[in-house]
Amino acid sequence: MVKLFRPKKTTPRLERLHSLSLFVDLRPSELEIVDGLVHEREYLAGEVIFDEGEEGQAIYIVASGDVLICRQGQSEAGRVAQLGPGTFFGELALLDDSPRSAQARAATACQLIVFFRDDFVGLLDTHARIASKISRQLARHLGARMRVMAMAAGAYQHM
Amino acid sequence: MGVTEKPNYTVEESHHGSGPIVWASIIATTCVLLFLFQKILWLVVPFLLALIIYYMLYPPMQGLIYRGMNRNTAAGLVTLAFLLVLLVVGVALAPWIGGKVAVWQEIVGSYIQGGLKLLDRSLRALEANWSTLARARLADTAAERFTSSADRVVDHIEPIAIGIMAWAPSLMLAPFLAFFFLRDGRRFQRFLGSAVPNAFFEKTLYLLYEIDRTSRAYFQGLIRLTVLDTLTLAAGLWLLGIPGPFALGLICAVLAWIPYVGSILGGLLVVLVAATDFPDTPGMAYWAIALFGAVRLLDDFVYMPLTVGKSLELHPLVTVLMIFVGGAVAGVPGLMLVLPVLGVVMVIGETIGVIVTDPRLMARHRHALALRRNQASNDL
Repeated sequence: MVKLFRPKKTTPRLERLHSLSLFVDLRPSELEIVDGLVHEREYLAGEVIFDEGEEGQAIYIVASGDVLICRQGQSEAGRVAQLGPGTFFGELALLDDSPRSAQARAATACQLIVFFRDDFVGLLDTHARIASKISRQLARHLGARMRVMAMAAGAYQHM
Repeated sequence: MGVTEKPNYTVEESHHGSGPIVWASIIATTCVLLFLFQKILWLVVPFLLALIIYYMLYPPMQGLIYRGMNRNTAAGLVTLAFLLVLLVVGVALAPWIGGKVAVWQEIVGSYIQGGLKLLDRSLRALEANWSTLARARLADTAAERFTSSADRVVDHIEPIAIGIMAWAPSLMLAPFLAFFFLRDGRRFQRFLGSAVPNAFFEKTLYLLYEIDRTSRAYFQGLIRLTVLDTLTLAAGLWLLGIPGPFALGLICAVLAWIPYVGSILGGLLVVLVAATDFPDTPGMAYWAIALFGAVRLLDDFVYMPLTVGKSLELHPLVTVLMIFVGGAVAGVPGLMLVLPVLGVVMVIGETIGVIVTDPRLMARHRHALALRRNQASNDL
């Protein structure tokens, strides 16, 4: 019986999840629960992941390949960012029902891990510790983005 | 990612609700499914029981997974524990039931006689007041027919016992199914999700979650309804001074899971008990009938729309009408199955309606198909 509650050995699949910044604080047993909740999707270069203005239901984590964040239909002129493996986007969908603020397209063929908002909300109810660890990563990410925006605004004022 | 002008490519449901065509399709599909389900009740009933067991065992299984146990072991352990509890309860109750069977036989007989006496007294009182009924000799005819039917009760016991035995193997499927729901439920959800094109993926995830939420809300609503019915009936019966009010209330509330037919059976039970335990006070039986009628009205028009209907987010009028439609299409099984089936069909129908009428999602899907075709043929 004691063996059943022994610390869990990690697997390549769990290690891959652990390498993603959103799940970096999770223990193997916690990763296994998250692994039961996430979905994997494959996109071809140029394929639309979501549109600007669409209601967000999920956060996307880039497992491989690159994703372009841009203004709706302006992949070159409206380019906002290009995200590589380990990063995530669409994170506001986990927090509220707000519409997507930009379009996401696969810049190259890519594999994405999708974490659905309702699964995250369920996790808050049943596994508050896991949800709090994910929330902390999310907060760090949003904080870093705010700092970048504040710096950009400051630089703009000095110009 | 701040943007000033936001184009509206939203895939969320329309706030106006679904149109008449979608709703007609939902109701038609519900009727067809009910008609089909009554043909495979041997599978549908264990499936529903398995769902109830699944929603009961899911939280403890999650607790075990969180403590480091893998999903397969946790699912097996909670199912085993559930079967063990059933076995212990069965073993503990078997001698008690065995000892009481003879007493119950006598009690059932005396309650049936009590009910017949009440009916006889009521009809003779009516005959005394209305000469038309007296000339028809209604009391004598009814007494003759009911007495011969009561004598034949023993003849009905055998087919009922055989029926229960025939259902037993399929009911034993329930914990087996529940185990696989617990173990492979997520895998099945992901399997379904993986079959959906990328363009519709988020919407489908939402759909799967809604189905899960609807099922859970329905079964939780049913449990809340049972508690409300039990408490209301028990309070009323206690005020009337009828013995065993809580047990009677609970039995009637569980019988009420079968709309209308279950209520009639529950009402008969209460009246029989009142008529037998208070043979010299026929007013008690009439009060019991009035109480039961009031509780049924409360149940069908207030409690059920507020618990089960509300949990499915159905309009109370639709809830009541669909119960009638379910009964007309598939009889007693239709009455029992109509609300959960309607809830699931409603979510699927509304979502499909939203997806196929969304030109942007369809365009994205066509674009993805074109990309895949190009990739498959670019070196030809």
